[in-house]
Amino acid sequence: MTVEVRDIVKTYAMGEVEVPALKGVSFDILEKEYVAIMGPSGSGKSTMMNLLGCLDVPSSGTYRLDGHDVGELTEDRLAEIRNSKVGFVFQTFNLIPRSDVFHNVELPLIYGGVTRAKRKKLTEEAIERVGLTDRMRHKPNELSGGQRQRVAIARALVNRPSMILADEPTGNLDSATGDEIMSIFDHLNDQGNTILLVTHETSMAQHARRIIRLRDGMVESDELTAPRLAKEA
Amino acid sequence: MRFLREIKESFRIAFAAIRANKSRGTLTTLGIVIGILGVVTTMTAANGLTNSFKESVSALGSDVLYVSRTPWVITGNWFEFRNRPNLTMKEVDKLDRRLSRARAVNPTAHTDRSVKYRSTTLENVDIIGTTEQHILVSSSVPELGRFLTPFDVQYRRRVCVIGAAIRERLFDEADPLNNAMKIGRYTFRVVGVMEKQGSAGFFGGPDFDSQIYVPISSLVKSFGGSNRDLNIAVKAPAGESLADFEYEVIGEMRKIRKLTPVEKEDFSINKMDALVAMFNNVMGVVVVIGMVITGISLFVGGIGVTNIMFVSVTERTREIGIRKAIGAKRRAILAQFLFESSVICLLGGMVGLLLAYGSTALIDRLVMPASISIGIVVVALIVSVLVGLISGLIPALKAARLNPIEALRYE
Repeated sequence: MTVEVRDIVKTYAMGEVEVPALKGVSFDILEKEYVAIMGPSGSGKSTMMNLLGCLDVPSSGTYRLDGHDVGELTEDRLAEIRNSKVGFVFQTFNLIPRSDVFHNVELPLIYGGVTRAKRKKLTEEAIERVGLTDRMRHKPNELSGGQRQRVAIARALVNRPSMILADEPTGNLDSATGDEIMSIFDHLNDQGNTILLVTHETSMAQHARRIIRLRDGMVESDELTAPRLAKEA
Repeated sequence: MRFLREIKESFRIAFAAIRANKSRGTLTTLGIVIGILGVVTTMTAANGLTNSFKESVSALGSDVLYVSRTPWVITGNWFEFRNRPNLTMKEVDKLDRRLSRARAVNPTAHTDRSVKYRSTTLENVDIIGTTEQHILVSSSVPELGRFLTPFDVQYRRRVCVIGAAIRERLFDEADPLNNAMKIGRYTFRVVGVMEKQGSAGFFGGPDFDSQIYVPISSLVKSFGGSNRDLNIAVKAPAGESLADFEYEVIGEMRKIRKLTPVEKEDFSINKMDALVAMFNNVMGVVVVIGMVITGISLFVGGIGVTNIMFVSVTERTREIGIRKAIGAKRRAILAQFLFESSVICLLGGMVGLLLAYGSTALIDRLVMPASISIGIVVVALIVSVLVGLISGLIPALKAARLNPIEALRYE
């Protein structure tokens, strides 16, 4: 089991008032699954993504990622988990502007303490998987939106994480480029990567094999749209 | 190993960030540049002063005591010393006989006279009356000719040994040896020229190069005053500590002066140490004042760096969020910004050092011999890095404590 979410509650203190964002959410995600988390704004979708990405800890309930109880970890331990178990892909790409493609992709390995030679090999592999080998020494502002997102995907892949967490990865892209990016995710899932897609676009969610819908901080529906694991198809 | 890699990454980020903001960095470092320039110049000047002081007192000899009427450095009531009797030649002879172990007992007397060679006249030249033993108690030797001999002293010959500066100013290119020159109204024959001492008179101290030595007997014969006040230089026996020997000298002097045990001494023992101690006190105060002033400028410079680092952290909030999201720990972010601030300050320090080379060269040429030592360079670089670390600490802590979610959302 990759993800194990049990009765998660998350409340934010807005001044005096406690605002609940998640009111008891439970689900499991298996290794190699391809899941879309959907919901309108205010549904708790972003909160869910922050928790799943170990950027935040739940107010109550348990979240286990690869067997680690995230709720009990210190900030630096969370950073380690994010580094080794989660690969983030953001809507706004979030690349380091002054660094070239290679260094952007290499960064998680540096923070993970990987040796130089191994870093070079893994980084080049990841860049090759998203087809940007010829853009290795370019800065992000010299790339198109689709290329930037592919750099971000390479960065998410490079540490061989337990899951890739994509937050509206096509939100800033035109539909043709968006489809291109989605096909990369599809392909990665076929190769056995666990993918979590947070989106509000149904067309994007259709790429996943399972859709979890959130509404008002609760799971509204959880349905399979295709065989649960790629190899079962 | 992991920590080392993080540090390397921090270095890389710091340099990239500084390169990206060149003009901002330059302005920021100005305070540090001025501060380091101040630190280095103060220390160099202090070293230069100390060296030229040591040079000018080294001629006095560290194993030599000087028996004089008054102390060199008068602290307290000057009137106490006013009525002391002069030291006389008779007392010199008695002391010489009693201190048979001393390597030298040498009296000096001095007078100011104008000197003349052909049409060149020098006013107020320091004329030292002494004996052949002078070269035993001072570190200088003649470069040309000879020093005074016992016969010169015994027969009150009108011969003189001139300092290097006197030779230059009076004789120019001419060979002074065996030439006759006037000291006051009398004609003296030049028998030697002392080698150059180099110290151009330390702030009113004696300029050894501008002195003329004559036999003490000739000085008394020519310029009068058989009760002229004398100084007696006593060189301690080899291997004996100056402090022990000092008691012996005091004891013998008391006997010569027939002082009862309850009477205070009516003479003074002077040592180079006393001068050095006084100088060190003065120098210490000067250095402290210099350091306080430069410390203030470094402090102000440091505040500038803190300020710019806050700007840098705010500008890069999103980048910090990204780094944290992909696994940077707090210490990695902390190191990143600490490196940036210390590299800024280190660069400022280097520029300050370069400028200090210029100012030192100027001091060296115009005021006194001065040079920047390796020690000063190391201190300056360490100080600039420390200023960088201290002034970057609060902004770096702020960056390290940023919440990754909020940082990622920052526009």
